[in-house]
Amino acid sequence: MVTMTNPISLEVDLAPGAKRSLILPNPVMVASGTFGYGIEYTKVFDIQRLGGIVTKTTTLAPRRGNPPVRIAETPAGMLNSIGLQNIGITALVRDLAPVYATWKTPVVASIMGFTVGEYAEVASRLEGIEGFAGVELNLSCPNTERGGVEFGQDSEAAAEAVARVSRATTLPIIAKLTPNIADPRIVARAVVEAGADALCVGNTLQAMAMDLERRRPVIGATFAGLSGPALKPVALRQVYVVAGAVDVPVIGCGGIATARDALEFILAGASAVQIGTATFTNPLAPIEAIDGIEAYCREHEICRIGELVGAGRAPADRKPRPETVPLK
Amino acid sequence: MKTGFARVTENTRLYGDTYIMWLDSPELIQGATPGQFLMLRCADLLPGLDGAAELTGASIADDPLLGRAMSYHRIREGENGREFSILYDVVGRGTAWLARRDPGDRVYAWGPLGRGYSLPGQSGQNMLLVGGGIGIAPLLWLADEGVARGKSVVLIDGARDAKGVFPAELVPAEAEVVVTTQDGSVGRQGLVTDVFLDYYGWADQVFACGPNPMFAALSEVLTRHEGSQRARRRKPVQALLESAMGCGTGICYGCAIFDRRGNPRLVCKEGPRFELREIW
Ligand SMILES: Cc1cc2nc3c(=O)[nH]c(=O)nc-3n(C[C@H](O)[C@H](O)[C@H](O)COP(=O)(O)OP(=O)(O)OC[C@H]3O[C@@H](n4cnc5c(N)ncnc54)[C@H](O)[C@@H]3O)c2cc1C
Ligand SMILES: Cc1cc2nc3c(=O)[nH]c(=O)nc-3n(C[C@H](O)[C@H](O)[C@H](O)COP(=O)(O)O)c2cc1C
Ligand code: FES
Repeated sequence: MVTMTNPISLEVDLAPGAKRSLILPNPVMVASGTFGYGIEYTKVFDIQRLGGIVTKTTTLAPRRGNPPVRIAETPAGMLNSIGLQNIGITALVRDLAPVYATWKTPVVASIMGFTVGEYAEVASRLEGIEGFAGVELNLSCPNTERGGVEFGQDSEAAAEAVARVSRATTLPIIAKLTPNIADPRIVARAVVEAGADALCVGNTLQAMAMDLERRRPVIGATFAGLSGPALKPVALRQVYVVAGAVDVPVIGCGGIATARDALEFILAGASAVQIGTATFTNPLAPIEAIDGIEAYCREHEICRIGELVGAGRAPADRKPRPETVPLK
Repeated sequence: MKTGFARVTENTRLYGDTYIMWLDSPELIQGATPGQFLMLRCADLLPGLDGAAELTGASIADDPLLGRAMSYHRIREGENGREFSILYDVVGRGTAWLARRDPGDRVYAWGPLGRGYSLPGQSGQNMLLVGGGIGIAPLLWLADEGVARGKSVVLIDGARDAKGVFPAELVPAEAEVVVTTQDGSVGRQGLVTDVFLDYYGWADQVFACGPNPMFAALSEVLTRHEGSQRARRRKPVQALLESAMGCGTGICYGCAIFDRRGNPRLVCKEGPRFELREIW
């Protein structure tokens, strides 16, 4: 084996065409709602090593969330219906932004609204606030103006939310798609058209569990979202499909627990990944994934992580991609 | 909080369907206090990775997926330093897996987690400990600590039947044990709440752990007993609560319960110790 002398660049630019760039030191982010507000793990590992942190989804007003039971274990996975418990945008900006402003690792604010106007309103509160490197739109929200259909399942509504947010902020915009849809490419193209700088693919898969003793759903709110290893093959396919349909960076998310999982998504076309449930079952999962990706690159003589992005796609599905980080 | 593989030094059935496992891992006990807990992954090490030089949390099979919360039961000096134990009932896949571990096996865990009992200072001499079922687990370390600090300790152990009673010879001799069983096979017949008031007057502080119905019953007994007494004149009742947990570390928001005011409280982080009457 050749020992490489050149340092490996794991750097990723998630918003190459945007007004402001969103450069991650490495492709491993932690997913929204699975890392609290980022401050919880400062003593567990060096969070400054993370590629990026996405906050718990934050709404205009604080929310108490759903009554118990909120989570359940399923085969190689888990269900959750937290109900968007969060501190609200005012507290996020007031209490946490000053902390984020001192961090090296980019922090992306995950936001949600029950109307397009609310998405824009929440986004506008982030404008000019130091501490945020980007904004992620959680599109898995019932749209109260359209009879409760989720934004992410309605390409027009999703595009409108993205368009309104892009007018309300100069921050790079990540649109987080839902897998609960027949063809993810339609919404993907619509939100890119509307101004999304990157896509996150994706959120949890709708699911449920039944309690035989009590003869009712295990989860208090009846339905829940499936995450964890059980979701991985589904998410991987969605990433592959979406990455072939758009020209913006795609962030893979769903069941990623290790460097090997992350690399599968990168080969499928993801420029970066988000780790969620895995941090619950192995608190060091994100750090181990970063180390593992670096070790893989070293072993396979990969100088820039961008070389691997989409490298596992079938020849017919490949297309010339902009370099993840342009060479000087 | 630290993560790591703890080595099993002993794992045996102690009584009824209740097992005790001793684990050797000084870092997982560092700084822990009675009432705190840790999360244990209860799935096999992946074939081929077992025995590998570098084990990580990623070396564990995906199923069952989530960690299981267990209270620290007791502490002892082992051959390689401090060991801790967990006392557990076999109720499902995870705990059945734990029961099959042999000495030398490794279990991935993280802890200490949550807020444990707050031990009384000078003013609180008389400690009343109330355990329902496996809720006895964290109370033994608390009893050990209380006795070591010269406190007077009474431990009420409520079980379904004789099989579920914690062995009296393992309770520190200085502590008084009161046993209740629902079928009356040993001790007083009934529930812990039936004997609770006999000791409540004596106690300066109460420390409880058990299933939710026990807390609801305790709260009811107290309300009837104390009537509309001002909250701040009441004796503190520290309750150690259970809830389904995803992470144990405050990042998933899965373990929330709602307090009397309707506010969500994370059992793993703000608890598991709560003032009883803030919840019930
Ligand atoms: C803070 C805390 C401390 C605990 N301490 C102890 C202890 O010292 N000894 C002991 O025997 N048990 C204790 N428990 C309960 C213990 O966590 C469960 O019995 C255990 O998780 C059951 O796992 P299983 O796979 O055998 O059961 P299963 O029913 O197969 O578990 C399925 C899922 O439900 C969860 N679950 C099931 N029962 C409970 C429960 N009662 N509480 C919380 N989650 C549950 C499991 O963690 C798992 O995610 C504690 C729980 C908490 C929250
Ligand atoms: C407990 C829990 C809470 C979550 N909360 C949010 C959230 O607030 N906003 C969001 O966009 N996604 C949320 N998600 C979805 C995750 O960010 C992620 O998209 C999903 O879990 C799939 O990835 P994973 O399998 O790695 O967990 C949550 C997931 C879980 C398990
Ligand atoms: S168990 Fe995850 S927040 Fe409490």
